[in-house]
Amino acid sequence: MSLWGIAWRSIRQRLFTSGLTALSLALGVALVVATLVIGGVVRDAFASGQGLGYNLIVGAKGSPLQLVLNSVYLVSKPIENISWRFYQEFLPADARPDGVAGRYAGSVAKAVPICMGDYFRSFRVVGTNAACFDTLTVGDGRPFAFAAGRNFRDDEFFGGVLGGAVAAKLGLAVGDRFAPTHGADDGLVHDPFTVTGILARTDTPVDRGVYVNMEGFYLQEGHAKPVPEGERGDEAGAEAGKDRGLSPAGGNPAPLPFKQREVTAILVQTASPGGMPPELLAMGLKTAINEDRDGQAAEPVREIRTLLDLFVRPLELLLLLVTTLVVIVSAIGILVSMVGSALERSRDVAVMRALGARRSHVLTAVLLEAIILAVGGGLVGWLLGHGIVAAIGPLITTNAGVSAGFFSAAPLGEALLVPFLVGLAILSALLPALAAYRTDVAKWL
Amino acid sequence: MPELVIRLENVRKSFAMPGGERVDILDVPGFVLAAGEQAALEGSSGSGKSTLLHVISGIMRPDSGLVEVAGTDITRLPEGQRDRLRADTLGLVFQQFNLLPGFTALENVLVAMSFASGRPDRTRATALLEAVGLAHRLHHKPAELSIGQQQRVAVARALANRPRAILADEPTASVDAAHQQQVVDLLKNTCTEHGVALLVVTHDPDVARQFPRRLRLEEFNRAGRHKV
Repeated sequence: MSLWGIAWRSIRQRLFTSGLTALSLALGVALVVATLVIGGVVRDAFASGQGLGYNLIVGAKGSPLQLVLNSVYLVSKPIENISWRFYQEFLPADARPDGVAGRYAGSVAKAVPICMGDYFRSFRVVGTNAACFDTLTVGDGRPFAFAAGRNFRDDEFFGGVLGGAVAAKLGLAVGDRFAPTHGADDGLVHDPFTVTGILARTDTPVDRGVYVNMEGFYLQEGHAKPVPEGERGDEAGAEAGKDRGLSPAGGNPAPLPFKQREVTAILVQTASPGGMPPELLAMGLKTAINEDRDGQAAEPVREIRTLLDLFVRPLELLLLLVTTLVVIVSAIGILVSMVGSALERSRDVAVMRALGARRSHVLTAVLLEAIILAVGGGLVGWLLGHGIVAAIGPLITTNAGVSAGFFSAAPLGEALLVPFLVGLAILSALLPALAAYRTDVAKWL
Repeated sequence: MPELVIRLENVRKSFAMPGGERVDILDVPGFVLAAGEQAALEGSSGSGKSTLLHVISGIMRPDSGLVEVAGTDITRLPEGQRDRLRADTLGLVFQQFNLLPGFTALENVLVAMSFASGRPDRTRATALLEAVGLAHRLHHKPAELSIGQQQRVAVARALANRPRAILADEPTASVDAAHQQQVVDLLKNTCTEHGVALLVVTHDPDVARQFPRRLRLEEFNRAGRHKV
């Protein structure tokens, strides 16, 4: 019979106290694992702001972090809107009614406008154009894929695309109609849009967005910028549509005149002339925009890194510290349990020594007992921790737009848990193991 | 001259009292146990019977003298080697049986094998338990066994590593009169069957008189005659 077998039988002999000790350790480990995994998932989700097909976000002046959180992660409130005129400064000549390239157009490869402020059953509604899903990417350059249907066309004023999580949660399918509400779930109910497509899951905040054609979005009550009657002047709504290739034909109403339009933000990909990295132009463009009065430009990657460094990582570390303390307290439980059973153990140790066991045998057997308890409790805790992540996964998906399930992992942290637990077990069992080592055989026989 | 399994020469052992005073427990000029011999060692309470067994088995080191077990002077061995020699050559039977409560009858025998030089032999352990009439109790824990059955497990365990001698410390002290004879018969018959020497320590004259050699510790332990 091996020393492992002897240690295991010793645990079985004190099954109740051993079980309680392992359970308390399991709970501690579960908290650590859940903290590590959720922290990792959230961090990865925020860090995935790279390769999205844009490297600058332009919006109203204010907090750049708020601009990024609102535009990319669909959390927080929009700062304010920026004017349509300012948006047009990013457009090339052929996309503008006056045929003159915008002030920043030379530095811009693409500029996708987004309009926010509406909701559909707690999910954010984003007004945008077809370029959003045609030219932007999921991350790392992967194009958007549709689980069902297709992207809306620019001339489908009341077409909409649903994020994967939205469609799954609300049970909507291609062809279904949905009516956003203004400002909040209980706000004014707008005209219905028709689902033209459902995006494949991306495990990004896009999954919980409701995307509608901004032309339809503009036509909803409360979305037109108030302009004095006499200043609408230069263009009628129908003309605005014609300029951009849109027409009221096919049942579409007349588009909203430009002067009455605003956008919440512009997702900008800077140009890369001669194969230069787009980041080179991004720095200059950002400076130029920020020196202007019309708005601000923020780099999502930089803002998120700041958010992670300033808030998320310290918070995660704090949580990890607290949960690690829970594990250490549980490990002290091993010590207490083993010291508590020292009297009972002394007699068994003396018998084994009389049967020929060396001091090193009994010392090792006690340490192995603690290691079995720690690793066994740790394994249960690991499963429990992943169970916790799986249980609150839908909540994380709903609130953070990232997918977290049983198999989400923090490989490095979780791999380090094993040696940590074994080390902790050895430390906590050292006293009782030394007591076993020093057991006076003659006294106990 | 028969081979000697145990030989003691001028063995002295004393203990320090709480006040610092030392008390001689053993002062044995000579003692031998031959291979296959069966002997009873009588002595009153506190006469040093258990201490003598602990010294012979290497659990305690004497202050001076020679303790030879199976031809090896164990007083010269480091503790680890004494432990191994004890596992390989001696079988111990205790007054309280001292079975490990978390282990089944079979595991109690196997655990004794695991400290010896050979590998634990499940077949032999099973055969030993079957030989003492416990074929149907192999997987029962001590708490599920009667007193007599526990004592049988203890004897099987003592034989686990093919010892040269079995040392039994008051093996009948905690069993009722009805079981006493069973225990004595079991020990004697088993040792005869396996050719193992047997030294039974007892304070009970009825037990002692059943052995061909009967010794009184007070007669050869000089420490009992003068305290220092």
